[in-house]
Amino acid sequence: MDLSAQLALTVLMGVFLAAVAMALSRLEDWRTYTPLTSGGGVAGGESGYITREKPLGLTRWLTTVDHKDIGILYGVFAVISFAWGGLAVLLIRTELMTPAMDVLEGLGGEAFYNGLMTSHGITMLFLFGTPVIASLSNYFIPLLIGADDMAFPRINAIAFWLLPPAALLIWAGFFLDPMTGGAIESAQTSWTMYTPLSIMQTNPGVDLFLLGLHLSGVSATLGAINFLVTIFSERNEEVNWANLDIFSWTILTQSALILFAFPLLGSAIVMLLLDRNFATTFFTVQGGSPILWQHLFWFFGHPEVYILVLPPMGVISLIIPKFSGRKLFGFKFVVYSTLAIGVLSFGVWAHHMFTTGIDPRIRLSFMAVSLAIAIPSAVKTFNWITTMWNGDIRLTAPMLFSVGFVSNFIIGGVTGVFLSSIPVDQLLHDTYYVVGHFHYIVMGAIAFAGFAAMYYWYPIVSGRMYQKTLARWHFWTWMIGSNITFFAMLLLGYDGMPRRYATYGDQGAPFSVLIQNLHIIASVGAFIMAIGTIIWLYNFVVSWYEGPAAGPDPWDLREYGMESREFEWHADRLETAITDGGSDDQSDD
Amino acid sequence: MDAQPGLDDQYRRSSSWPLFVALGLVISELGVLFGVIPISVGGLVLFIGAIAAAVSEAGYTDRPWRLLAGLGGLLVGVGVLIAVTQASALAPEEVVGVFAKGFAQPPNGVVVRGISIIVAGIAGIVLALVGPQLATTHR
Repeated sequence: MDLSAQLALTVLMGVFLAAVAMALSRLEDWRTYTPLTSGGGVAGGESGYITREKPLGLTRWLTTVDHKDIGILYGVFAVISFAWGGLAVLLIRTELMTPAMDVLEGLGGEAFYNGLMTSHGITMLFLFGTPVIASLSNYFIPLLIGADDMAFPRINAIAFWLLPPAALLIWAGFFLDPMTGGAIESAQTSWTMYTPLSIMQTNPGVDLFLLGLHLSGVSATLGAINFLVTIFSERNEEVNWANLDIFSWTILTQSALILFAFPLLGSAIVMLLLDRNFATTFFTVQGGSPILWQHLFWFFGHPEVYILVLPPMGVISLIIPKFSGRKLFGFKFVVYSTLAIGVLSFGVWAHHMFTTGIDPRIRLSFMAVSLAIAIPSAVKTFNWITTMWNGDIRLTAPMLFSVGFVSNFIIGGVTGVFLSSIPVDQLLHDTYYVVGHFHYIVMGAIAFAGFAAMYYWYPIVSGRMYQKTLARWHFWTWMIGSNITFFAMLLLGYDGMPRRYATYGDQGAPFSVLIQNLHIIASVGAFIMAIGTIIWLYNFVVSWYEGPAAGPDPWDLREYGMESREFEWHADRLETAITDGGSDDQSDD
Repeated sequence: MDAQPGLDDQYRRSSSWPLFVALGLVISELGVLFGVIPISVGGLVLFIGAIAAAVSEAGYTDRPWRLLAGLGGLLVGVGVLIAVTQASALAPEEVVGVFAKGFAQPPNGVVVRGISIIVAGIAGIVLALVGPQLATTHR
């Protein structure tokens, strides 16, 4: 970089730091400004009590360390990411309705398709999945364990604020491509970033993408440390290990998994960046070998699956009893299964590598452990079913999504058991069967549970009730759409359709008509889910402003003897607000 | 919690610093990876400054300045270590001479990054030295 550019950047950086310093001196001297007015005036007209908790307007959201606010921020961020990842996949599915490259041709063809596919995977896992769970846990773990806040509120805020820049970096290639005339493109490494491909792609968009991913890993690790300390040391004296709720158990286990898995991903990414930019040879064929990357990546990557699925399992274990009128069947065994899955999850990673030519004896042991992990998963599934058995079932939206979770989890889980068998994997590896299997889990189960939780706790967060008919429409579009799409993918896999391809059938293969039909069916299912998502978004936004007040016990939990700490807290808050004669600090949440 | 008057005092559930710790980390990672000295120096100074302020605000230290100086010193150490990896031997003249590689044509990229981290560390230390004076006159 020449001297004038360096100077210009120095001046720019100086101006930026001066602006930061000015903003900070304004914020830190707030007390000299506020007594005269009620604050920034953006949300004027609220009671003076509010200003003792936090400032108003945008400043509140930029400076908040309140776990509930941070939970909402995570939620909004997750929804934006979900929209990005969802739009990416709709473009992908539209392209795949025809064998040739046509729909995306004008936008960049195969390269654009590869960028979309990479972005869809990373966005949904790291920028939607992990944050949506963090949203739920930030808001509700302190309430469920009776803590005032998280153990480290500032670290909590740091963990959140790392995510928006991480997302911008991960998506940067898409924005910079038109701005730089194609010099910087979107990353096309797929979410697994397999070497040597990810070293050979010299596009700086990949470096930005890796940095973003690294930052999101730092964020997840900070969050995990915070949850571990909070659940260990901030519990109310009434909450002990014997009566700790199931969601907290799963978040505890998940946080431990994050603590062991994410730093490893961070280190592997730094090594990959060094290989790309500093000519190190960690993952080159002549050096440490590309297989080393796969080992390191999947040592993180498989626990990541459980990082994503354990808290949703906790949510389901929490919600199903409430609407079945029965306690969770075999609570202890659900907890033990959670812990067992947590431990076993670190011993299965090489089942992603059965076809790489690694030692057959190693493959054998990984097949055995992968099969074994079906046992605690099945224990949970049977316990959910048994909890519902003979129960007083109420099919509310959260319950519908929970039952949908169990149904999809069974299909996703059983196909996973098949895949863990080496001979089956040899045939189905890198086909759409794998794509169908893990989408049944990540969309059919994890996202379903995320939305079950959103519906279940919506009255607490918003103080209002959503429109129940629209919620049912959302559920049925998703249930039908996901099964159409992902079952078609399983069939595509049996038919030998390889994953990651933008085009197909150009070899004149005899089954290409069937493959195209299955692709069309899968795409139709995706659009049905997109309609459901729009219904959900409309419902939540409109109900936030216009929905009927939810009241202290929106699910009649007291009537069914199903009281729980977070709804008791909610009722207390409403009662306090009424006796105070005005809204309290959270009423606008 | 109440060591320094500020946003945190008036609003129990607010703090100015987390946003800037995050921004600092992002900017410094970008600057160091791409070897752009102004960006990495600015980012690292923001990062360690905001950390020191947050730690002090949370009540773990009375004042942020010594921690800031310590973090600055840590950066200087890390920067020197990175630059020294490019020395061909561990002889004193080689170790001292390695910094010239950052200004050679073409410059050694690793040394450039080391120097940028050292500069950031020194800036942090300077800030820690002048900060108390500025803060006194300001209040």
